[in-house]
Amino acid sequence: MAFIRLHDISVEFPIYTGSSRSLKKMLLNTTTQGNIARDARDRVAVHALSDLNLRIEHGDRLALIGANGAGKSTLLRVLAGIYEPTGGRVHAQGRISALLTASVGLNFDLTGRENILMRGMYMDVHPRDMRQHIEEIAEFTELGYYIDMPVRTYSAGMVIRLCFAVATSMHPEILLMDEWLAAGDAAFLTKARQRMEDFVSGTSILVLASHSLPLLEEWCNRAVLLDHGRIAAEGSVAEVAAAYTAAQSGNA
Amino acid sequence: MVGRRACVKRKQRRGPPQLDIGAASRHKSGMVYIARAQTAQDFAEPVPPPQGRAARAWCDLRDGAAKSWMWTALALQDIRLRYRGSVLGPFWVTISTLVMAVSMGVIYAQLFQIDVATYVPYLTIGLIVWQLISTLVSEGCETFLRADGIIQQVPIPFSVHVYRTVCRNFLVMAHSLAIVPLGYLFFAMPVGWHLLAVIPGFVLLALNGVWICLLLGLISARFRDVPPIVGAFLQVWFFLTPVIYPVAALQNWRSLAEWNPFFAAIDVVRAPLLGAAPLETSWIVLLISTAIGSAFAFAMFARFRSRIAYWM
Repeated sequence: MAFIRLHDISVEFPIYTGSSRSLKKMLLNTTTQGNIARDARDRVAVHALSDLNLRIEHGDRLALIGANGAGKSTLLRVLAGIYEPTGGRVHAQGRISALLTASVGLNFDLTGRENILMRGMYMDVHPRDMRQHIEEIAEFTELGYYIDMPVRTYSAGMVIRLCFAVATSMHPEILLMDEWLAAGDAAFLTKARQRMEDFVSGTSILVLASHSLPLLEEWCNRAVLLDHGRIAAEGSVAEVAAAYTAAQSGNA
Repeated sequence: MVGRRACVKRKQRRGPPQLDIGAASRHKSGMVYIARAQTAQDFAEPVPPPQGRAARAWCDLRDGAAKSWMWTALALQDIRLRYRGSVLGPFWVTISTLVMAVSMGVIYAQLFQIDVATYVPYLTIGLIVWQLISTLVSEGCETFLRADGIIQQVPIPFSVHVYRTVCRNFLVMAHSLAIVPLGYLFFAMPVGWHLLAVIPGFVLLALNGVWICLLLGLISARFRDVPPIVGAFLQVWFFLTPVIYPVAALQNWRSLAEWNPFFAAIDVVRAPLLGAAPLETSWIVLLISTAIGSAFAFAMFARFRSRIAYWM
């Protein structure tokens, strides 16, 4: 039974600009007793998430809604275990597969086939086991001969298909997806949804961040509205989407 | 209002859960917030106790080491990609080492007035080991930087990238080591079980490689001007280390070489391969640097491990 619990999660980002990335400036700063402190320590911290509590249960297909910079991607990264939160605790159970940025983690000089094996490795799947899934992935992606061509030659849509197929091939229990999924065309979305439903009984949790409210209403059964790193509303997708649209038009 | 559960902010930092409904007014969206009824059961399930930083860092190093299939496969792929499209592939390393050893060997043997049969093997093995150490140090800086895509995408142990870098550099070295048997044949040097004495040296080199990549990778991820500094340092250090000249040439400055960890690292591999015993100080220096380096790198890793993903 997969689940995710977030207890009082806070994420604080140090933003390093130019000179604070420099060791020389930092050393200079300590030896001159901070005379040029403003120059060298231009560190700005961004509170991406503050004291966030969330329980995601078996069977939840959760939509993350929020304006740009509300903390959706950061939250997904915390859920994926990529960012260790600066405060609070994450308690999760279940095999996680995260599709956060489509192209990152792909090697554009390798062929589709080689990239499938490599992505599999990052998902902790031995190439030996991954090879058995290649044909099934190739079939889903409809890449045809392209599967043996360098990914460099792929269109954006083909890259999305490949990544989605690989991420879902190992039947994860928790699937996390960022908004790029919506960049696929209608045919792909229908097919992807079909694939999701095929194993949604197996996958117990889906977390999807997107700006496309129709897509979220179709895919999800629960929603959370993020605002400045806090949960501003929680409920059914329709309700939260309505609150979001109201807030957006109120601000405008 | 039934079925509309909107919980604004729940606080349960120690003690029973409290509701903070007042926080709702801070939000502009104009929704009515209703705190979801919370039962004690809500937060009753056991949360695993938090692990300390050192424990998590240790788990990272251990779990990464257990995934040996992953980092060897990644290291092999790095090498394949680097030489993709070239006919000889990584054997270019073998050839360039051979060319360098022969040309430098003949000229410097003249300059130093040493017998070619003694000098060329000494220089060749010295160059091979120096190359290993210097690429471990310079590529060690990029351990995490060049894996930024993976670090931001999937939560695999950070140490996998460290082992991958060390493994890749040892594999590259293995290619240049392939010319050593040629040298044994050409100079009719004795071959036998005594050559196995090189193994502890390689083990110590690998251990040092791990802490070097871990530490430099960590520092360079935060401070982006470290790789060029390290590069400049390596250039100078090459001349301070008896790679192309014999230790004896230093005369009164011998101790400069004896206490140089880079020389110690070369000596524990070079001497056994030439059928001699390494200096006693080389073992001492190398063991000390392994111990101190590992301890320091581990402390830094434990302290900053969770920040690496944020630095990318």
